[in-house]
Amino acid sequence: MSAGVGVDLENLWIRFGDFVAVRDANVNINGGDFFSFLGPSGCGKTTILRAVSGFLDPSEGKVLIGGNDMRGIGPNKRPTALIFQNLALFPLMKVWENITFSMEIKGASASQRRKRADELLDMIALPGQGDKLPSELSGGQRQRVAIARALCAEPDVLLLDEPLSALDLKLRQHMRTELREIQQRVGITFIYITHDQGEALTMSDNIAVMRAGVIDQIADGKTIYNDPNTAFAASFVGENNVFRGKIKQVMGNEAMIATNRSGDLVARISTANQGKLKEGDDAMMFVRPEAFTIAPDGTAGDHFVTARVTHEEFEGNVFNIFTECEGGKEIKVSLPNLGQSFEDHTGQNITLEYETRNAVLVPAGELAAE
Amino acid sequence: MPQFLKDFFNRNGFGMGLAILGLVLFWTIGLIILPQLSMLDFSFRPNLPPPEIGGPKDVYTLENYKYLIYGPEGGSQDYNAVDLRVFFRTLLAAVCVTIFNLILCYPIAYYLGQSKGSHIRIFAIMLIIPYWINEILRAFALRIIFGETGVLNTLFVGLGIWDTPFDFIRNDIALYAGLGYAYILLMIFPMYNVIESLDGNQIEAARDLGAPWWRIHWRVVIPYAKPGISSGCTMVFMLSAGALAAPQILGGPSSLWFTQLIYQQFNDNNDWPQGAAYAIVLLVTCILFVLAMMRLFKVNMGDIGK
Amino acid sequence: MNNSFLRISIWVYLVIFFLYLLGPLVIMSVTAFNSSAFPRMTPWECLTFQWFGELFQDQRILNGIKNSLIIGAGTVVLSVAMGLAGALMLTQIWPKLRATYYTIIIAPILIPGVVLGISTLVFWDRINRMLGLGADSVLSNGIFLTVIGQSTFIASYCMLVLVARLQRYDVALTEAALDLGATHAQAFRKILLPFMRPAIASAAVLAFLASFENYNTTTFTFGEYPTLTIELAQKVRYGITPSISALAFIIVALTVFFALLNEAKLKRQELVAAARKQATVEELAGKIKLPSFFAGNMAAVLLVVFAVATITVVGTATAYNPGQCIANVKEQKRLEAEQRIQELRKQREEQRKKREAEEAEQGGDQQSAPKPSNNSGFGNVFAPNTLGGDTEEESSGPETPPSNNGGFGGAFDPNSLQTDQ
Repeated sequence: MSAGVGVDLENLWIRFGDFVAVRDANVNINGGDFFSFLGPSGCGKTTILRAVSGFLDPSEGKVLIGGNDMRGIGPNKRPTALIFQNLALFPLMKVWENITFSMEIKGASASQRRKRADELLDMIALPGQGDKLPSELSGGQRQRVAIARALCAEPDVLLLDEPLSALDLKLRQHMRTELREIQQRVGITFIYITHDQGEALTMSDNIAVMRAGVIDQIADGKTIYNDPNTAFAASFVGENNVFRGKIKQVMGNEAMIATNRSGDLVARISTANQGKLKEGDDAMMFVRPEAFTIAPDGTAGDHFVTARVTHEEFEGNVFNIFTECEGGKEIKVSLPNLGQSFEDHTGQNITLEYETRNAVLVPAGELAAE
Repeated sequence: MPQFLKDFFNRNGFGMGLAILGLVLFWTIGLIILPQLSMLDFSFRPNLPPPEIGGPKDVYTLENYKYLIYGPEGGSQDYNAVDLRVFFRTLLAAVCVTIFNLILCYPIAYYLGQSKGSHIRIFAIMLIIPYWINEILRAFALRIIFGETGVLNTLFVGLGIWDTPFDFIRNDIALYAGLGYAYILLMIFPMYNVIESLDGNQIEAARDLGAPWWRIHWRVVIPYAKPGISSGCTMVFMLSAGALAAPQILGGPSSLWFTQLIYQQFNDNNDWPQGAAYAIVLLVTCILFVLAMMRLFKVNMGDIGK
Repeated sequence: MNNSFLRISIWVYLVIFFLYLLGPLVIMSVTAFNSSAFPRMTPWECLTFQWFGELFQDQRILNGIKNSLIIGAGTVVLSVAMGLAGALMLTQIWPKLRATYYTIIIAPILIPGVVLGISTLVFWDRINRMLGLGADSVLSNGIFLTVIGQSTFIASYCMLVLVARLQRYDVALTEAALDLGATHAQAFRKILLPFMRPAIASAAVLAFLASFENYNTTTFTFGEYPTLTIELAQKVRYGITPSISALAFIIVALTVFFALLNEAKLKRQELVAAARKQATVEELAGKIKLPSFFAGNMAAVLLVVFAVATITVVGTATAYNPGQCIANVKEQKRLEAEQRIQELRKQREEQRKKREAEEAEQGGDQQSAPKPSNNSGFGNVFAPNTLGGDTEEESSGPETPPSNNGGFGGAFDPNSLQTDQ
């Protein structure tokens, strides 16, 4: 299996008239990686994908595939294959003709194409379905045909534009595993576009979090989740409780912030911001719902928060407690269901405790929309 | 190269883009715009034999337009009464044909648009078939019917309703029937398209509220179908005013259609500039009339042809 | 308002409407089989096929058909190509130009055909002169001018048909093809064109029919190449014969045939598609069972009935000989004519006697002779008498229609118009 072909974006700017869709993107994607661009719709991630596949010319900067500058090279000449959001299967061609369209272009004989189609149909677990029309397949089957069609072109880089968004939840979760398996089997670079953080976290080697044309952070899933660079990354990926405040004191990699409603709290400064955050800066502290535990009544300190429980819900694997601080700030707490007994706290004040290493401090910034 | 041209070529490829652009430019400029301008220019020139064209005598003049209003120079009358009468009669008759067609076609368009079932497709075929038959032959068919020994006269005289045959042709009834007949489909189709998209529930709701059927049409269906109605009326008006075959075949011996005058200028008098001037007058008047009607009934140009 | 009354009036209206629409075509078709020299339904003389024979011997009609086919083919190619390009441009033109562009390409539908013909003629004549080409150059060729003139507005029709389907086209399909290595031309040919095929077929049929039946534009541009429509118009204007009905019958029959064929095919496709949806993998792999062509397909049944009827008619035509009937009718007409002449003579005789008697009475101061049997006063100019000379002599000929009961109607009688030709 090859080491794969990498993709690099260097100082990439894409403008449509006065609108800046992508602002100075710098990304290095290693060969053979499963790389995701994660962001809300309209953040410019699809634009980046279209620039990589060649449907768009960058306004400034470069797209490099395998180290080669792609400027002036059309989509049909690039070693990429794109899986479209709506799949774009050719409706009038049978499944096997769809899959081997790239061979037809190169002038392969029908028997060669048929043979290759059968191999690929076996690979995507749709043996013997080659003579159907795309409209006669189910959503998940169509999905797999689109993947087979792209793979048949033997691209160095496979680009996927939210291909799972049209599927129902169960199928989507199933296809996640399948996509990851296929990627590991063929060993080529996958670039995946999604707004679903679950998809990005489960499948990707590395993730770029995008906001309004800007890439906030590039890292592997764990880092993004545990050590976000920005308030946006922290609030977009997974659930998070935010505490706003002013930095009172910096203590090495930790700092204390003064909040309006919960007093002074201590948190770890996220890696990218260490040494940058200074006393007096506006900052935001993020604590995940599952990072809280319920402390005995009466305990207090710089990693304790007191709040009144408004309601509770049982979700199966977790037990969610929704609380409210003085003045209306909401905090969500998720306790893992380990078979313990849960008291009903509704209406009571409880004290929540977190470990300092689980609270992340970033400069104050824009939060992801709910 | 401006950005949109660049995008255009990026999207279509250079070869394909050039082919598309070439064909579109040939059509819009070479076939539509330039010939009309050329005709306009021509209508302001004197009728000269070919060797003198472009020569010193080839100057712009209003003579051809004056002719329509005042007639030949030194003529006996102050105004060109014959041609002017034909002109206004043509316009008036085209309006009448349009109204007749609208009244005739609205019910069928409504019926086809709002009822369901397989017989609708058969009706549609029956509607389209006559439209596929040659215009001349359709006029010919009507002439067989309206002729003096035609089916209608035989029928009515045979039944004793009339004791002598009625001259449908001299009284222009054959002509109006023929013009109406020729453009039925053009009236039905736009109306049908719009009415078909009207949600039947709206009619149900109106009926539920106790509205009588005529009020349902007046307040619900007709306002909704307005784009289709105006589109159909525009087409029927323009085509009737510009019709040539039906008046030639079905017109009475004494009544001319304005297009026949144009035809005569070109083919009999060999006076092309004069014919071009008449054509311009017809075109401009019709367009102005349609625009005025559209303004009056508050319809947009974009609705036409849908 | 009573509901059943409304229902009945709707049906009455529908019957009247379709009578208006289809009646003339039916009557015209029927006259093709009547041996009367003037196309008419009544009185019915003999069933005959002679008008078809005459039609196929008419060199001008045959030549017109040839020209129409050539011009039709050229118009189909040019207007479908321009219509497709125009539709593609409409879907991607700069938004600010869109409304103007749409107005320009839709305008030819509304411009009277006469105007289009004239402008085409004038414009290309000028180009021809500017290039210094002679009167026999390509640019002044009737076929070229007619194709150009017709395509101007037929392309608009094609554009409307094509853009309707193009709006349902997903541009991602073209992009997917490009992405898989196709050139723009390949993507066009392999993806867009197959998708557009049904619409292109409709547009081509529409274009051909529009070209075939066009008169207003062609009449200015045809030059040395009269199309069938032009020839027909000449014939219809200067005397009509049932051989035109025969041609009309053929065209009506062909139209009905193709309409039914198309409908049957569409229905079949629907049925096949429905069957495919239910088919299992094995069935698709080899032995897909198509539903029989006729199952639930009204149009197909009608089509077969129609074909059988046609074969019967053609079969009868070859075997049938109306000679005896025609001879009978001729004989009858001759007798009638003779009788009429006798009557007329008698009438004249009586009148003469009466006049003589009156003259004898009044001394000849009044000369007003009553008109002989001309019921409507105003028709005189067109009465056969005025055009054809001596009526009595003519009406004794065997070809004259038996009853010419109104004075003016003779204008459309072939006999009376012979003098014009």
